[in-house]
Amino acid sequence: MELFLQAASVALQPMAIAAVGLGALVGLIFGSIPGLTFTVALALALPITFSMEPVSAIGLLLGTYIGGMTGGSVSAILLGIPGTPSAAATVLDGYPMTKKGEASVALGTAVIVSVFGGIFSLIVMIVSVDLVSRMAISFGPAEIFALVLFGMSTICGLCGDSIIKGLISGVLGLMIMTVGLDEIEGVPRMTFGSVNLLQGVNLLVAMIGLFAIPFIIEAATDKMDLTSKRVAKIRAQMPSLGLLWSKVWLMLRCSALGTGIGAIPGTGGAIASFLAYDHARRFSKDRESFGDGNIEGVIAPETANNAVTGGTLIPLLSLGIPGDPATAIVLAGLMIHGITPGPALFMQHATEVYAMYVAVVIAYVWVLGLQLIGIRFFVHVLKIPREMLAVTVLVLCAIGAYSIRNSAFDIYAMGVIGVLAYVFVALRVPITPIILGMVLGPTLENEFRTAMMLSGGKADIFLTSPIALLFFALALLVVGLQVASELKLGRNHQQKVKV
Amino acid sequence: MTDHQKDIVLSIVILLLAATWTWLVVSTIPPGFGDGDIGPRAFPLAFGLILLALAAILFVSSWTSGRAKPGVLGPPDETKTSFTQKIHWLAAVLLLGEIVLYGFLLEKIGFLLATPVVVVLVMALNLRIRSVRHLLGMSLGLTLACWLIFEKLLGIYLATGTWINLR
Repeated sequence: MELFLQAASVALQPMAIAAVGLGALVGLIFGSIPGLTFTVALALALPITFSMEPVSAIGLLLGTYIGGMTGGSVSAILLGIPGTPSAAATVLDGYPMTKKGEASVALGTAVIVSVFGGIFSLIVMIVSVDLVSRMAISFGPAEIFALVLFGMSTICGLCGDSIIKGLISGVLGLMIMTVGLDEIEGVPRMTFGSVNLLQGVNLLVAMIGLFAIPFIIEAATDKMDLTSKRVAKIRAQMPSLGLLWSKVWLMLRCSALGTGIGAIPGTGGAIASFLAYDHARRFSKDRESFGDGNIEGVIAPETANNAVTGGTLIPLLSLGIPGDPATAIVLAGLMIHGITPGPALFMQHATEVYAMYVAVVIAYVWVLGLQLIGIRFFVHVLKIPREMLAVTVLVLCAIGAYSIRNSAFDIYAMGVIGVLAYVFVALRVPITPIILGMVLGPTLENEFRTAMMLSGGKADIFLTSPIALLFFALALLVVGLQVASELKLGRNHQQKVKV
Repeated sequence: MTDHQKDIVLSIVILLLAATWTWLVVSTIPPGFGDGDIGPRAFPLAFGLILLALAAILFVSSWTSGRAKPGVLGPPDETKTSFTQKIHWLAAVLLLGEIVLYGFLLEKIGFLLATPVVVVLVMALNLRIRSVRHLLGMSLGLTLACWLIFEKLLGIYLATGTWINLR
């Protein structure tokens, strides 16, 4: 309790509250602009946190994450274009509500249920993180290697429509992280005599390039004009208590679904929101009106995708495994400030972790306030021409990449990685596995090598630990299920073609 | 180019990359000393070999599905849906050039001069904006706003030039 009070006093400092608020605002804006996801916002916000106190810095990132997840619903409801992939299911009934003149109620309801889902997942997270961490504290190098391998297997869930392309992407991420000085023996690897490459490719530089540069190139080539879609004068209207009370059971079910999905690395908000939408439609008394502006079609996905935020933080904080690109950036932010998530997190940084819990609550308070009061102002962001955003993002990318090590080399690296990411996206090669490979690669290698050294070169060390065997089995299960699902999809596709 | 052809080209490029990587790893990184030390070479080598195998699988699967499809579908291209997007090589290479130029100029003439130059270039060449008012307003406004927010408010170091230094 003493630790919690200490953490609360840190998180409730004016600077920390302001940082969370700034993050929530930036997240809402980026999340609401189609194509400019909150992952881009997180990548750009990360360098800003360098000069901040750890709690303010993490608060800024969490605010951006939570604000972005909520902001996706704004353009989904008003324009029929999801601001983020996780808001795609909201379009199905949110946009028809706008066409019926019920945009204000849809927006207001989306905000309230988003906060409900987020707080629900926070409570689950608070209970789970400590428990999982306590279990994981006894892990040695062999168990950690097996755990990270299991984390890597979730690449399969991020592969999109081709498991091979996803695996290629993941292996490329692993390869990139081997460039530079070997951490154990200090041997330069693939540096070609370049001093800049001795430190390797910076994870943050790669993230900025991977997520922001494709947007800039697409903005220059794609003439999608959002301003042509009329954005009416709008305000968020609070739903009635009666409406909320009548849907509270649906909100609880969707919150549990979203938290559970979020806790599985490699899934994410989009899957949770579609599953929740389907669940709501399946069990609704008014099933026929789904797709024509049923409020349950807004409540279910918005509750679920915000419940994902707490869910994804469970494996991130307790095991150090990021479940999606956004949490990978949060992980990078934590590590920059000397907070290494994993089994020992509570022993070393209990205050910071409790402060993060408080920051999440503050972020939802900010989101609620900003959306309900400020939506009529920030909805104008949707009118900013895409080209202007592209130029602004380019300059922010360059500032972010340069400020990491004050080196122009990082800007060049960002450009090269970004253009490659654009080509990959165009060829439907998923780029998220690259991030997972880059984040988990060094731990994978270091723990394997340490385990082998401890065992004198005997691989038995991995086979005699029940925990390691469990994680190996889980990894095989995840890969097996994904391969089976892809084969089934392929067969169905062939049958359809023949018909 | 169809999706299958694009996948075949992609797999060949990845195959070449993996082969080059593997060769470089073997020829430049020393192996381990034994007795549990697997050395700094093991993982990069393993990744190179895995990438080779994955690229080979992608090549074979793209090749076989590309050849099998016409038999099932009849004449292909008329009704075929392309799932991949068109790659705008010129726009991509142009932006890469501008980013490299930006990095170079940042170190030579500093943030305050390099930024408006690159913003004008991107707006004029990539976004094809011709209005002088827009070009000047955006480039100067963005530079000033970023300088005030990052350098003055947040205390983040923005590059100063070695040739010209305005501060």
